[in-house]
Amino acid sequence: MESNLLIGLAGLAALIALIAVRMPIAYAMILVGGGGMMILSDPHIVLAQLKNLAYSQFSIYDLSVLPMFVLMGNVASRAGLSRDLFRAANAWLGWLRGGVAMSAIAACAGFGAVCGSSLATASTMGQVALPELRRYRYSPELATGTLAAGGVLGILIPPSVVLVVYAIVVEASIVTMFIAAFIPGLIAVLFFLVTIAIYVRVKPDSGPAGDRVPRQEFIEATVRVAPVLAIFVVVIGGIYFGFFNPTPAAAVGVFMVTAFGLARRTVGWPQLRTALLDTAKTSGMIYLILLGAQLLNIFMARGGVPQAAAAMMANSGLPPMAILILLIIALIFLGCLMDSLSMILLAIPFFWPVVSALDFGMSVADLKVWFGILALVLVELGLITPPVGMNVFVINAMARDVPMSRTFLGVMPFFVAELFRVALLVIFPSLSLWLPKVLAG
Amino acid sequence: MHEDTTEAAGGPQGPLRRLVEFWALLGGLLLLAIALMTAWSSTSAWLFGKPLPGDVEMVEMLTAISVFMFLPYCQLTGANVTADLFTSRASARTVALLTLLGAVIALGFSLLLLWRMYYGLLDYRQYVETTTILRIPIWYPYLPALVSLALLAAAAVASVREALRDSRLLP
Repeated sequence: MESNLLIGLAGLAALIALIAVRMPIAYAMILVGGGGMMILSDPHIVLAQLKNLAYSQFSIYDLSVLPMFVLMGNVASRAGLSRDLFRAANAWLGWLRGGVAMSAIAACAGFGAVCGSSLATASTMGQVALPELRRYRYSPELATGTLAAGGVLGILIPPSVVLVVYAIVVEASIVTMFIAAFIPGLIAVLFFLVTIAIYVRVKPDSGPAGDRVPRQEFIEATVRVAPVLAIFVVVIGGIYFGFFNPTPAAAVGVFMVTAFGLARRTVGWPQLRTALLDTAKTSGMIYLILLGAQLLNIFMARGGVPQAAAAMMANSGLPPMAILILLIIALIFLGCLMDSLSMILLAIPFFWPVVSALDFGMSVADLKVWFGILALVLVELGLITPPVGMNVFVINAMARDVPMSRTFLGVMPFFVAELFRVALLVIFPSLSLWLPKVLAG
Repeated sequence: MHEDTTEAAGGPQGPLRRLVEFWALLGGLLLLAIALMTAWSSTSAWLFGKPLPGDVEMVEMLTAISVFMFLPYCQLTGANVTADLFTSRASARTVALLTLLGAVIALGFSLLLLWRMYYGLLDYRQYVETTTILRIPIWYPYLPALVSLALLAAAAVASVREALRDSRLLP
């Protein structure tokens, strides 16, 4: 038993070493997980398992929602939704001081409601909003920082690929997680808007007011976002109110964005082809990591590592809140080093047993939801923090004359706003737990 | 208007690249077809109370096939994420050597899985198992999966060669 634990810990060390030397995370997990299983049980049994392990993993029904949401987001990126959203948001908010940046945030939120990925949201909205922000002479920090931060809304507002993966790892309901993410997502939007308002008050030159649009254009721009709203209501509303399971909802979403793109003539074969190939890349990567995580989890469970971590934390004598805060800091730190999906798949199998053993005066089911929303926010912070803030890289690549350091500087106020939001979500669990209760009851 | 700009996909070019891309595109179209079928089925269930029979098992089987079809493309375009922690300041040669390590593991993985899933196919051929409703034999999806794994192996060989060249171990 003890030796199993030692082998498990050695495996963990090997995994970290492999990831540190730039081994693709999926293959590092597969190698360590598979190797560990060979050591801890009969290699013949493992070889026999491999005959159908990959196929049975890839054919899990609950996972099929992932490639569909990825496809939906990729088609939406090319369907011109982002342009409509930004125009409408700009008609509403553009005339305020800092209003063009606020419009970008609002449009990111709208796009996040049909797209489950941060990078896709950042790059799609960046292409639309960055030229506008520059036209109105927004400071490079505010312009690029806003878009890098706004991209995070892609994943905070359902649908969210990371949230689906979390739900699968801890065996929570995808539907409940999606409902729980709604209010925290709205708070994120609100906080980002307030952040911009404060920013332009402190630095008035950084974000001048845009133009007031004429009444006719205001109405026209507003009406044009009706399709986005319709897609959101059908897909996410359908999930919330139990009309659809997640997979059929995502499938309907794929149909709706494709039909929209075809009708608007924004999506032809070249766009569809790119969307399909991008989906192939993302989905293949996700499934390979999921396969690696599966192997790794079998190995770690057999070595008793998660249980040992949970026992160690429980016996540490620290109050539950202190342990939670330690885990939060660890997640922020890990998020700086890794992409959100690998992080959820690597960290949550170890962190969740620790959390589930703590007493916060709520049921395990509630704890799962609450911790999941926290984890989602925390891993997403990694997208806007150095050294590997992917959103920052994506936006910075579009504004080549802006040094990376200035983009990171511009994103800082949003990072601080996010820390406030994390504190709020920790102090008031009902922000995450209230809506699922209402909709379930 | 110019939202269809895709980042130029890196990695080896040539006939293998075109084949792998075609295969991934086929997988993508399959995924699109699954989505349309599922959308139709759930709308039909909602309107007429009649979903397509066996739609769940079709989704399971076809999604698995399309994901297998994506894997070679992921390998060839370097889509599998890495964490750039300590290597961002490493020399191009060091990075190429580390990439080589990853590519060798990918090759080993694809060959191992090809070997094992081939025996999985033989098992399912011998003791035929089918899906519950549509009675589709489980070994059917193993055929495209095996082709995908063979392509993945070929893609990994291409990655190994490229990494060898970049690390100047081979001319």
